[in-house]
Amino acid sequence: MRKFVMFTLCLLVISMFAMPAFAQGGEAPHAATNWVAITSGFAMALAVALAALGQSRVASAACEGLARNPAARPGIQLALILGLAFIESLVLFTLVIIFVKVVA
Amino acid sequence: MEQLAFTQFLNHYFGGVVLQVLTRLGIHPKHPAAPIPNAAAMEVLVVLLLTAFFIAVRSRLSVDNPGALQHVMEGIEGFASGLGKEIIGHHYERYIPYLVTLGLFILTCNLIGLIPGQESPTGVPVVPLGCALVTWFYYHVQGLRENGLAYLKHFIGPVWWLAPLMFPIEVFSHLARILSLTIRLFANMFAGEMVYLVFFSLIPLGIPIIFQGLHVGVAFIQTYIFVLLAAVYLGEATAHEH
Repeated sequence: MRKFVMFTLCLLVISMFAMPAFAQGGEAPHAATNWVAITSGFAMALAVALAALGQSRVASAACEGLARNPAARPGIQLALILGLAFIESLVLFTLVIIFVKVVA
Repeated sequence: MEQLAFTQFLNHYFGGVVLQVLTRLGIHPKHPAAPIPNAAAMEVLVVLLLTAFFIAVRSRLSVDNPGALQHVMEGIEGFASGLGKEIIGHHYERYIPYLVTLGLFILTCNLIGLIPGQESPTGVPVVPLGCALVTWFYYHVQGLRENGLAYLKHFIGPVWWLAPLMFPIEVFSHLARILSLTIRLFANMFAGEMVYLVFFSLIPLGIPIIFQGLHVGVAFIQTYIFVLLAAVYLGEATAHEH
């Protein structure tokens, strides 16, 4: 099973490298790749994935804290909302940078 | 430029005066025929609505027979007081009017975009920037008023020989607060509308309503976070060192 997964991943990586070559061979050379679209997609995906991981850690820690001591709800809720807001704003910075780059 | 109904109304009656004032100040609007942009017109509308709401509440204030509006306002005040007591501390009453006004303004600005034919002013970066700047100056002024010149001690850190290092960092972090407050609010409202538009272009029936519901939630949460951060900054600036 593991070998099969590794094989598939390798195939995927190879095909990723192979595709530009085929594309360049088949199409006209003056059709430039729209790198802004590609990089902004990857930047957003990276930012969202890592921020989601971080937010999930925050949420799970808050749940554990609440389960152990339900009386501490106000303080935990405050820290939870603040932490989530700060993590989320990093993703939004990425979004704004992408918009500035794409529109300008 | 596409004009909303209220923008057209304002430009028709006040456009000339605004254009003259702006030209005197050396500002040349992009569209001289319509110098008031949509966001400014929506802000004026929100201010008018809130003023009407406050006047309606104030005129019916009574201890024996509180009406529905008074209950709503008392609920909002109680919520803000709880927030202030928890974050700012025992001298929180002085800052409640500012926090409540700020919160109601941002909340109405966020929610007015859900009405067809209207537009969220907070979806334009200028409006959150205004709120952030006012908050920034307010907490600095309150800090200076509360602590006097000792307020400047906040900027040099606890150890005196680290002051040359701490001072630029502190100044920079205080300036970054404007940026983060602005972009958090603006980008959330903007992204909410974008998601709605994208799904509307995919499936123009039914499904986009879910994202409108999400947008309502985001509007409330972002208002809460803005007010919360304003309270945190106020509490930090006005704290007495014992």
